[in-house]
Amino acid sequence: MSVESDAAAQITQLLGGRIGASLLLVEQPQPDTLRFEIDPGAVRAAAKALVQDTPARYLITVGIDERPLDRGFAIVHLFSLDSEHLFLALDCAVDSENTRIDAITPIVPGANWAEREFRDAIGVEPEGHPDPRRLMLPDDWPEGVYPLRRDFRYDYHPPSAGNVRPVLREPPKGSSVIPMGPFFPTLEEPAHWRLFVEGEKIVGCDYRGFYNHRAIEKLGDSAMTYDKLPFLAERICGICGFIHSTCCCQALEKAIGIQAPARARYIRTIMLELERIHSHLLWLGIAAHIVGFETLLMQSWRIREPVMWLTEEISGNRKTYGMNCVGGLRRDIPADLTAKIQEVLLPVERELRAVRQAIVGDTTILARTKGVGVLTRQWAEQIAVVGPPARASGIAIDARVDHPYAAYDEVPARICVQEGSDIWARVVVRMDELEESLRLIRAATAAMPGGPIRTEIAEEIPPGRIGISVVEAPRGEAVHFVMTGGDNRPYRWRVRAPTYPNLQAVPAMVQGETVADVPITVGSLDPCFSCTERVEAVDIRNAKTRVYSREELLRMWQEKSAPGGER
Amino acid sequence: MSNGALSVLGLCAVNVLLALLLAPLYEGILRKLRAVIHSRQGPPLTQSYLDLLKLLGKEDLRTSPGALYAFAPALTLASVLVLATLVPMGTAPPLGFAGDIIVIVYVAAVSAVLAILTAFASQSPYAFVGGSREMMLLLAVEPVVVVTLIVGAVNAGTLATGDIVTWHTANGPTISMVVASVALFLALQAQAGKLPFDIPEADQEIMGGPLVELSGARLALLRWALWAKQLVFAFLLVEIFVPWPSTGTYYIDLTLALAKVLLVLILVAVVDAVNPRLRVEQAMRYYARVAFVSLSALAFAVIGM
Repeated sequence: MSVESDAAAQITQLLGGRIGASLLLVEQPQPDTLRFEIDPGAVRAAAKALVQDTPARYLITVGIDERPLDRGFAIVHLFSLDSEHLFLALDCAVDSENTRIDAITPIVPGANWAEREFRDAIGVEPEGHPDPRRLMLPDDWPEGVYPLRRDFRYDYHPPSAGNVRPVLREPPKGSSVIPMGPFFPTLEEPAHWRLFVEGEKIVGCDYRGFYNHRAIEKLGDSAMTYDKLPFLAERICGICGFIHSTCCCQALEKAIGIQAPARARYIRTIMLELERIHSHLLWLGIAAHIVGFETLLMQSWRIREPVMWLTEEISGNRKTYGMNCVGGLRRDIPADLTAKIQEVLLPVERELRAVRQAIVGDTTILARTKGVGVLTRQWAEQIAVVGPPARASGIAIDARVDHPYAAYDEVPARICVQEGSDIWARVVVRMDELEESLRLIRAATAAMPGGPIRTEIAEEIPPGRIGISVVEAPRGEAVHFVMTGGDNRPYRWRVRAPTYPNLQAVPAMVQGETVADVPITVGSLDPCFSCTERVEAVDIRNAKTRVYSREELLRMWQEKSAPGGER
Repeated sequence: MSNGALSVLGLCAVNVLLALLLAPLYEGILRKLRAVIHSRQGPPLTQSYLDLLKLLGKEDLRTSPGALYAFAPALTLASVLVLATLVPMGTAPPLGFAGDIIVIVYVAAVSAVLAILTAFASQSPYAFVGGSREMMLLLAVEPVVVVTLIVGAVNAGTLATGDIVTWHTANGPTISMVVASVALFLALQAQAGKLPFDIPEADQEIMGGPLVELSGARLALLRWALWAKQLVFAFLLVEIFVPWPSTGTYYIDLTLALAKVLLVLILVAVVDAVNPRLRVEQAMRYYARVAFVSLSALAFAVIGM
């Protein structure tokens, strides 16, 4: 047992007091990570001790198939102790014959999706889960086939089963259903809310998502290698790609035990903040569009455009920069471009002030956002909401401060908090963060040291190491967990995008509102479905029973669209 | 047929053609203006004509077999065209008679009710929500229109639109008429279906509401009806409440009226461009206040101011 800091010793003592002999092992693989091996029977008591007697915040659960390592299944609940800059991992070994574990959702409501997900993915049953429906697998996926088990090949296609429908709740008596999705004008990606309404008033809702599965985690631990992983991670999201590649690299760097050089960490900071600026401006436009304010949409995207040109000059791409690699960066920012960053950002800052003044004084915007989509602090904490929605409900969390990474230890960020808990508070938080990002970029470019941009990895990466990293994405905190494996690739790679917890807060936010408020309420979370839905293995239409070639599809389309053709 | 009947018929045809043929042009100008405010280049001025032409040639997909659902868009356009013959455009209304102001109110309501019926007949939950929003908005806006027209009637001592215009041209502005014109202008924003009151259509919330299950020619007809309606209502506003200068020469008066209509619609479009959408109950509260303004105009009119 090796426990270094005071806080770690206190937590260990607390857990030991609560679950006694069920606490099997404590270790601190990195200074900021504390791992507890516990008996699965005590998982609920341990989780309860953490969330009720310490300020620990639930992050995510990782399910790992460790049968090839002769250990059954591992269910690892991750928590963050922000004040002490610590990650806590509750690691439970589940027997490979009796695949059950107590669900912690009754105590930690934020674990709802995560527990359904490990049930879907590796087949460990969370017992006592309040809503044990399928979460991420397609509706026609066969029972008993678990895509994240090690014996499931990443390119396996189970046969599809024709006409199946999701299990969705029925509306309460006296109310009717208004569907929002799976395709809807204000949802950029497919997601299906079933709104139960009386007149225009929402009395309940149900959700079915995960239509965008792309098998990214499975690919990461079976088809990719460490050097390819950051590029795959960058493609998790089309907006915050650099966030995911940075987070993935940092998790791997931690597991390996190396650190990126100072210059690389500064450049990561600059790129992360540039990404926040263009993402928040994108969001502002979309939110304006949702309430019909097209002028603000057009203007905020016009202001955003020079930032995109700047990232294109730096990296060669408007988005998906491809700059990160494990150990640092592949591409430096030349000196003349460092100067140009300031030059580009000056007019952005000036125009942002004008936009801010315009929307603060707009009574119609205030009428549509104040007191609407309220997420109380208590709910936000229970669901473990992150990012601007959490900060707008008065919770001062920000990964840049709670777990400083890149250069945020030397260029500290200020946490922008509001108490309003409504959509307007989320607008203000993001407007404040835009200013803060501009300040951070200025500070980081001024203080940027010279030197190399990449640390070479000298030796073979040993298996069985874990690394946990968080990055504050524009939408909230992204979490990457890696466990290293043999053959030059991770054994398990778990990604939690910020939208994953935030979407779970939607039912609480829309209850009692009108249909008119639902799009802007969902939009105020800045949801990103493709980030959330990165795990899955197979496109159901492309099942093994029949694979259409491009020519065949083209011919079928021509036949169907010919006059008198089948429709 | 007498000469008088012929000229009435001719004027009717002129008004109907003005409403039909100029409505897309005005909409095109507004679209261009909106684009400029957006820092966009925008479509050509003729885009609305092209849109109508394209839609008229498109397939008509129907979600319901009902006759009402099939014919309501055409009836809506027809009712707007009837309204055009009752509204002065450059000269007295072609179908004017002693009491036509009451008919104007009814025909205007009919076109809105037909749009609502189209929505309910299409059996889509989104159209249903759109239809009920349209109804609530109609209940809030219609009183404003009625009261402002009554202000004109009380001032001129007649229920004939043409006589009100003649009276206003001769006697110049009064406090009551100015206040009433402001109220009617505010009502025009909702009558034209512009932001912040495009609540029944609300693309981002209910995907076009009454329009969601319309396609092809029927969509074209309903669009056309909405554009013609905003033009006719703008004529009603400028002819009754801003009739000056009046030369008595039809062509000059018509040109002046067209220019004034353009100015009014540009104002409507600017308000549209700088506002997000309200919720329907917020819009109803807003029009309750506007109704109060129009009632104060009526009070001024009754005491002869």
